[in-house]
Amino acid sequence: MTATISHMRLRVLFALFTVVSLLLSARLAYWQTVGRGDLLSRATDQVHSDLVVAAQRGVIRDRTGAILATTVQLRSLYAIPAQMKDAQGNDTRSAVAAAIAPILGERPEVLRAAFDSGAEWLFVRRRLPEETAARIAALGQSGLGFEMEPKRLYPSGAVGAQVLGFVNDDGLGQYGVEGRYDEVLAGTPGRLTVARDPANRELALGLRTAVPAKDGVDLWLTVDLAVQNAAERELAAVVEREKAAGGAIVVLDPHDGAVLAMASSPTYDPASVGNANAEALRNRAISWTYEPGSTLKAVTIAAALDKGVVTPTTSYQDVGYAVIGGRPLCNAQCKVYGPTTVTQVLTRSQNAGAVFVASKLGAADLNAYLHAFGFGVRTGVDLAAETGGIVRPLAEWYPVDLGTMSFGQGLSVTPLQLASAYAAIANGGTLYRPYVVASRRDADGEHRTAPVAVRRVISEETAATMVTMLTTTVDNGIANAAALKGYSVAGKTGTAQIPSDDGRYIDDAYISSFAGFVPAVDPRMVVVVVLEKPQSKLLGTVPAMNTFKAIATDALRYARVQPDRP
Amino acid sequence: MTFAQAVRAPQARRVPHRPHRQAVTHHRSARGATRAPRASWEIRSFLLASGVIVAGFLLVLLYLAQATAVSAAGYEAQRLAAQRDELRRQNALLIIETARLDSPARVEAEAQRLGLVRAATIRVVATEAVAATR
Repeated sequence: MTATISHMRLRVLFALFTVVSLLLSARLAYWQTVGRGDLLSRATDQVHSDLVVAAQRGVIRDRTGAILATTVQLRSLYAIPAQMKDAQGNDTRSAVAAAIAPILGERPEVLRAAFDSGAEWLFVRRRLPEETAARIAALGQSGLGFEMEPKRLYPSGAVGAQVLGFVNDDGLGQYGVEGRYDEVLAGTPGRLTVARDPANRELALGLRTAVPAKDGVDLWLTVDLAVQNAAERELAAVVEREKAAGGAIVVLDPHDGAVLAMASSPTYDPASVGNANAEALRNRAISWTYEPGSTLKAVTIAAALDKGVVTPTTSYQDVGYAVIGGRPLCNAQCKVYGPTTVTQVLTRSQNAGAVFVASKLGAADLNAYLHAFGFGVRTGVDLAAETGGIVRPLAEWYPVDLGTMSFGQGLSVTPLQLASAYAAIANGGTLYRPYVVASRRDADGEHRTAPVAVRRVISEETAATMVTMLTTTVDNGIANAAALKGYSVAGKTGTAQIPSDDGRYIDDAYISSFAGFVPAVDPRMVVVVVLEKPQSKLLGTVPAMNTFKAIATDALRYARVQPDRP
Repeated sequence: MTFAQAVRAPQARRVPHRPHRQAVTHHRSARGATRAPRASWEIRSFLLASGVIVAGFLLVLLYLAQATAVSAAGYEAQRLAAQRDELRRQNALLIIETARLDSPARVEAEAQRLGLVRAATIRVVATEAVAATR
């Protein structure tokens, strides 16, 4: 009986063993075949880390090599509230909040509320200044840690902000050079797959596959930081003095269209873009249009001279106004000048004289020359958000438009377009495409930007005549306040009315401007200063000319340009 | 030959057998030879196996030592790379600080703070005039 039971037990035991063995074998077979991939991936996930290696964003420098924008890794402070405990295990959230609040310039209650929000992990502050991060690290508080994050820094602060643009929190370039060249500046991120130990350290003998990141290209601008600083300083000062709504300054090298400086008011600090209003982000030198007023008379007269319909000595009888299209167009304050030459039309800035010259030229030719000088289309400058201004198609011109456009009303331009047109006059008649990036530098070396001559606009003779007439305008004419001791200056003032939304002009508000170049012979720079609604109103060209003088004085001294006059 | 005969036999009679002692000895060594190679083979096999095991063990130890050394070197390299990155970061921050200090806006503000004023005029010596005097 006992033997039978034992035998049965053995059989049962054997059967159980067999079943268990089969089950285990089946399970094993499953994990080795069907579940292999899943198991492998789970094991791999535990050991391997697959990271995106961020590319270093390119550095932006001025023409002398001074850093205008660069990227560094800054420490971001994060908190793990559950780990905020002392050696005895007591909660230290309040103590941590109280300790770091004064360093961060925050109220402790705000930090405490963040710690109590229920988040397991949260950023307290991102991209801290180095000294702030160091002070917090020195506290040695538990539950706090740092993580590196890239931060775009602008060592010159707000200087050049409108030209440079900025980089948002997602690392995307916005406005200016940052926006226009975002792709080349950003580079291409790489990938890194490595095996790591439980302490998250890379294993030397483990898997390691890496696709290296390709860093962004460094850009060297045509902008000169010293000239840019002078332009921004003077613009800020004149806008404040004149309580102007805004303003813009463009400084160009007339020989190739290189932008030496570009300032816009209001402006912003790229370090705190979040606090800037939308208007401040707009670069008025390229994204804002205005009716240029009398600065355009130089273009009208250049066109007429080039076409051969007038000469500097061609004269007419000025009666204080001109009738065109059945409408009288007056000089400023309807002043009567009597016999007037074309040169005097420019030096006195006579509207009726400009109408006389335009009538000789004709609407079709004036329209053609306006387009040839680059008005009505974007200049093609390598900056984001450029606008083209408006020159209505010839078919839409009323007869009176020939007259109004001759002295710069009824069309809109950007300050950069006007600077390019004056550069064409200054350099002997060739319109250049303005540009800001002088060269790109990457692992393959330097790639310089070739200046682009868009077209010849006027002949050299016409250009030379215009230089003489514009120099006379400064020496003996309406723009005398722009005269510089020791240097010849050529230029023209402009006072324009501002159109309102209902199609009329706003009463008693003007845009004052000055466009000129210095030295008049072999000029080093073209400067355009535009002020919106200065409190000097009709006399607003005077502060504009003073601003021109201040910038030109600084820039000429800085560039060590030898005086061309005693 | 009986046992008695053998006992009684003179010693000299055994002499002629001396050469046979050689044979006897030879016989003995032949018998030993059948046992000794086997023992030798076993010893050799044992030694060989032991040697292989020891060598294998040593190789494994060597491998482990190498792997540990490489791993330790890897950690050291990682530490040095982190140190290098931190130094580069500090260097970049210093370069930015230099650029900030060199900024014309800051220099101007500092000059104003120190009470410096712009030169009203700057004397320029014409190069042609200097060249004419030489």
